[in-house]
This record gives sequence, structure tokens and C-alpha cells, in this order.
Amino acid sequence: MDDTTAPLVALSNVSRTYDGGSLVALSAINLAVERGAFVSIVGASGSGKSTLVHIMAGFDWPTAGRVLWQGREVVDRHSWTALRREKIGIVFQEFLLLPTLSALENVEIAMSGTGLSASTRRSRAAELLDQVGLSGRLKHLPFALSGGERQRVAIARSIANGPELLLADEPTGNLDSRSTEAVLELLFALRRRAGMTLVLVTHDEAIASLADTVVRIKDGRIVDAGRGTQEAR
Amino acid sequence: MTLAMLAWRNLLRRPARTVLLVLGIALAVATALALLALSRSIERTTGESSLERGAELTVSQRGAADLFGGFVPASLEKAIAAVPGVAGVAGELAMFAPVDNENQFLAVGMADSSYFWPSMPLAAGRLPEKGERYVVVLGDNVAKALNKGVGQDVTIFDHSMRIVGVAGYKTAINRGVIYLRLQDLQELAFRADQVTLFYLALQPGIGAEGRDAIRNKIEALGPFSVAPTDQLFSHDRNVEVLRAVSLVISVIALTTAGISVLNVLLMAVQERTRETGIMMAIGWSDRRIVGTIMLEGVLTGLAGCAVGVPLGFFACSFFNFLPVVGRYLAFQPSFGIVAPSVAGALLLSVLGSLYPAWRAVSMTPADALRRA
Repeated sequence: MDDTTAPLVALSNVSRTYDGGSLVALSAINLAVERGAFVSIVGASGSGKSTLVHIMAGFDWPTAGRVLWQGREVVDRHSWTALRREKIGIVFQEFLLLPTLSALENVEIAMSGTGLSASTRRSRAAELLDQVGLSGRLKHLPFALSGGERQRVAIARSIANGPELLLADEPTGNLDSRSTEAVLELLFALRRRAGMTLVLVTHDEAIASLADTVVRIKDGRIVDAGRGTQEAR
Repeated sequence: MTLAMLAWRNLLRRPARTVLLVLGIALAVATALALLALSRSIERTTGESSLERGAELTVSQRGAADLFGGFVPASLEKAIAAVPGVAGVAGELAMFAPVDNENQFLAVGMADSSYFWPSMPLAAGRLPEKGERYVVVLGDNVAKALNKGVGQDVTIFDHSMRIVGVAGYKTAINRGVIYLRLQDLQELAFRADQVTLFYLALQPGIGAEGRDAIRNKIEALGPFSVAPTDQLFSHDRNVEVLRAVSLVISVIALTTAGISVLNVLLMAVQERTRETGIMMAIGWSDRRIVGTIMLEGVLTGLAGCAVGVPLGFFACSFFNFLPVVGRYLAFQPSFGIVAPSVAGALLLSVLGSLYPAWRAVSMTPADALRRA
């Protein structure tokens, strides 16, 4: 049974090293993300912020420390897979859509294995694409979509299973300013509507400052975890 | 979007590679099918030809390495005929003989008392008369191959013989034989008083127990082996070698196809490492990812079989037109030979996709996503 009073996700003394310890990506990280919070993680390139998100999503495992989901330590690959399918949505900087699948299929495939019927998956995928403003692009393959459109497909895919936590790793890093604005608007609107917890990784201070909590990371260590300065739209 | 559809799309991404893989599997299936048909057709065709002539059991030398290398005294005929339940005995000396100094044909010398003579169907001419020397009846395929007919001569073992008839049998072996009197062939081949085997016709109503009793009595007469006609070649060394060679080549062909599946899927999985990472990232279980890759293997295996089975059938029908082979064997692919070829191809396609599938899910999602 999950502890509903515990943070949604918490990292306890987490370290991640590579090459037998000679390369330190994260060092003794302690971080708790409360349910419904908007946390931004900001840092320079190579500071360890993406590794931190990878650990929070179970893409990678810490070499030391523990990761807890609602108070329970997540230790095995199978549990992480189930969490990503049911409770964690992820948006990447490079969109990471499957190139042979249409926009509709890219969203639908995230619901594969959830027990929903094919027709339900299809209609829900169409509904989600409609929500992100892509109802006219259902059958387009990724190469036929603009960067902003691809990211909106990726966002629709990330929320397909109604996640509690949305991890966005530099979601606007490959977008122009207009698309950046549109994608952020979309993320904030979805968060408000569904009450999701949002962890946003960025190197843009202005975007980071929109969060409730701004976690600054440098050389694999958290150097500051203060409040944001602006109110999220 | 089902797993099968996703697997199908993945295969279509590299159509040329997929087509070549399917062709490779198809060739392996066709090879296995044709070779199995070849080895099995020997026993089947022998059984059919014996039945057509009215034989149910054979008596040959026990322990002979091959049928044509074993000999039985012709004088045994009377003792065999005296065994209760035996309705007819046909002693035969069989061997491949040079004809017209060019071709080798199967020559069969039959005793005057053989019950095969009166039942031989004739397409032309007549049967040898009692005591008539150096005359032959040709199987119709031999007549066609030699382009000779009744009244003309053929040379067998350097001896000229007159063609008195053309037999009209229906089975491949019987149509490819030159029939002559036992005495003549024994003389020409220096096999006096010897036959290769005896064919037996049994009295009507003889059951399994009766056959066993007949076999025991005949085998008690000396070092002889009694077997049903369709098992005539079951212990023949040459046929065993052919069967073993066919099996080995079939296994090699199918294994090569399996390795091709492994190779191609391994390449495909490596190319799609990042996509595998995406699937992991959106919560696909290892089992589903493995399932998709293995489905690609199964789909290529199925496509290979779909092309390979007709190709194998075509190859078998082509064999029938090869003079050396088609003269004696009829290739009829059956479910009995299609099933092991297809099952082998599918099994090896599945096995070939196991390692790539395991490779795909052996990475962490982070590793998979990092690879370009």
C-alpha cells in the first residue's frame, strides 16, 4: 500500500557514478517532490540534471541511495516499467516519436498493454491529440510535422495513461520561441486541468523561475532548492 | 496498433533486406522439402511398384549392406513356395546394366515360373515364350529413352537382345525397368543360380500373425530377411547414406536460414536501439518488446515458408524430368514432408530472433535512449 502522505517521489542520498566511480554524475542527492508540485531543475549542460530525471523515471539506477515512490522504494525493473506505464509521463527534448507510426499511433502505442480495447485506445488517442491542437494531423508521420507539432504529439503521448507525475526533460530545447511558448502553455494547462505533478528540466532561468520550487544543480550536487520567483501561468 | 502490425511495419522499413531474408528462408525450406521428398520417395516408390506387381513381402540376404549387393540362391524358391500361406514366389536378379554401351538401366531377370510374368500389362508386343533366349520386354519409359520398340535390338552387357514387348506399368520404377528371363541375366552377369531377392504374394486373408509365422519360417531356412515391400530399402546402406545426407543438408540449410534471421534482426535491433528505449520509456514491458522482435522473426519465417513450399513443390516436379532420377522415382510432396520443413524453418526463425530480442531488453532505458 502506498503512503499518500509521503512525497510522490523522493530521492534519498542518491549517487550515480560511471566507469567504476571515476565519473560522478550525481552525488548524495536528497530531493522530495510533493504531489501536485511544480518543480524545475536547472543547471548548466553536464551538471547532472538529465541523469537526475533518468533516475526519477527509472531509466537508470543509482549506484548508491534509494528512490521512493509514495514512500516505497522502487528496486526492480519490472516495477519501474509499471510505474512508467501507469503513473509517470515523460517528454523529451528530442521528441522521441517512433518514425514509422502516425501521430495517432504514436499516442495510441503508449496505451498498449494497459488492458484498453483497440477502439478505446484509438478514440482516446484522437481525443488527446485534439486537446493539444492536432486533430487535423492524426495520420501524419513524424517527419511531416513541425518541431512544435512533434512535441505536442509527445506531450499527448506522455499523458495518455493519466500520469501522476510528468517529467519534462528540456521540452523546449529544440523549439523556436513561438513553439516554446505554445508548448509551455500546453504543459501548464494540462497540469492545472489534471492536477499533475510536473518536474521540468531546463537550462533557461526564466522558464525555471515559473516553478513552485527551483532546484539548482551543479557538478552533480544540489546547490540550491528555493522557491520560484514568478507565478506559473 | 497491434504487436503484429508494429512488427510488420518494422520489417517494411528495409524492404530489400526483408525480401532477401525471406528469399533465403524460402530457399532453405525448398531445399529441405525437396531433399526430404527425394529420400522418402525411394521407399514410397519401391512400395508402390511392388504392390503394382502384386508383391506383399520380400526375401533378401540378411545383413547385406545394400539390396543390389546381396544374393540369395535361386534354388530357395521351392522351399519358400512350400511355406503355408505363400501364394506365389517371384525370384528376381536385379542390377543396373549397360544398355547400348551408353546408358545404365535397371535390368530385372525373372524366373519363368515367376507369377509376375502373366500379370505384366503390355502396351505393345508380347511376353517372352518359355525357353526363348535373349529377348526383353522394356518398360515404356526405357523404350522412350532409347527410342526403340518391338522388333528392334538392344545391347545388354555387350549382348544383343531382341525387344519382344513394351510393358505398360503405371509406377515410376516399373516403367524404368528392362525385363528379361532370369537365366539370360544370370549368364550375362556371371551370377549363375543367384537372385537378388524373392517377392512373395500371400494367400488372401493372411493377417499380421500369419505374416509373422511366414517370416519366421522363411528366416529359419538360412540367413535371410523377410520384410514388407515398402521396407525393402529400410536397411539399405546406400539409402541410409542418402537419407542421412539429405537430413544433414536440410538441417544445414534451415540453420543457415535461422542464422540469417538472427543476423538481420540483430542489425535491425541495433538500428532501432533508440526506439526500443522509447518503448521502455513509455512503459512497454520487456515481454512486449521481446514479443515484437520475435514476431518479426516469425513473420519472416512464415513469409519464407509461403514462398519456399511452392518453390519446393516446383523443384520436386522438376526432378521428375531429370532422366537419371525421374526414371525411377516419383516426387509427390505431401503434408508429411511439408510439415517438418515448415516447422523447422519456423522454429529456427524463432530461435534466431531470441538473441536479438534479448539484446534489445538487456539495456537500461537510459543506455538505449543515449544511442543514436
